[in-house]
Amino acid sequence: MNENEIQLKVQALVDGELTGQEAKEWRSRLETDAGLKELHARLTAVRGLMTGAELPRTLPESGDFHWSQISKAIEREERQAKHLARPASSANWLLRWVLPLAGVACLMLLLTLLQTTKPDLGISLGSDHELELSIDDLDVMTFNTGDDAMSVVWLDYSLDLQQDEIDLWLD
Amino acid sequence: MITLSLNNLISRFIFLVALLLFVSGGFVVAQADPITVQARLVLGTSKEQKGKTEVPDTIRKRLAKVFKWMKYYELRSRRLSIGDGATKTAKLSKTSKIEVSNRKNGRIAVSLFSEGKMLVQKSQTLRSGSYMVLAGESGTDSAWFIVLSKTK
Repeated sequence: MNENEIQLKVQALVDGELTGQEAKEWRSRLETDAGLKELHARLTAVRGLMTGAELPRTLPESGDFHWSQISKAIEREERQAKHLARPASSANWLLRWVLPLAGVACLMLLLTLLQTTKPDLGISLGSDHELELSIDDLDVMTFNTGDDAMSVVWLDYSLDLQQDEIDLWLD
Repeated sequence: MITLSLNNLISRFIFLVALLLFVSGGFVVAQADPITVQARLVLGTSKEQKGKTEVPDTIRKRLAKVFKWMKYYELRSRRLSIGDGATKTAKLSKTSKIEVSNRKNGRIAVSLFSEGKMLVQKSQTLRSGSYMVLAGESGTDSAWFIVLSKTK
């Protein structure tokens, strides 16, 4: 036991914090050790001076208040944990899926309505015509102008435009 | 007895008249009027080419409204008078020609041949003032057009 521990034991004896057997042992030790006896006397004197001189210190809140706050905090944390672990209710499902889907549907409807007025390219598809192709791998596109006054068959074919020496246009 | 044979005769007569009307009516309907078709071989390009004849303004406007080229030159033009149910041929270039057939109810059939093979056959009703166009790209930034129109 070092010096500091010995001093703390003497202080505890002065404060009456030692048990009966331990207090008896330390009292007998004081009788034989002059240094300890002097320390005991000094601490006893200081304690006597301080008795009645200490200002009373009261807690701003009662102890029960602090415990109730801690208890509430624990309950709150438990509630939050339960809330997170709980499966989604029907209302939550509605919020998570139906509302975004409704939003997307509204957006699609809006885009569809915006595209209702088709761009006027001045052409139309389909008419009173028949088309027969003789070459399978020939790409063909056919359309009519908007006023139906010109039908076009566009062939992916490069025609030789060179004129024949003998003009063979037949009447 | 005489009344019966008379009734029989009348009914036979009516039947023959109806048959005659039906056959003659069908024959009239099946007739196709002779038509005159103007066929033009046109070059569409974005570059001006001097010495070449530009197509009539009505055709140029119609083509330029649909296609990207702004200049249209008439390389060859022929007028084909085609009788009822007849077919006429017009050679466009060294290797290509068209066959135009006059079909029933104002319909014409145009077949395009290149190097002896038929590429496409288009049949439609061709009204006066309307055009049938067969077209395709030809090399660098230009296109060929065969513009057919019905003339009176």
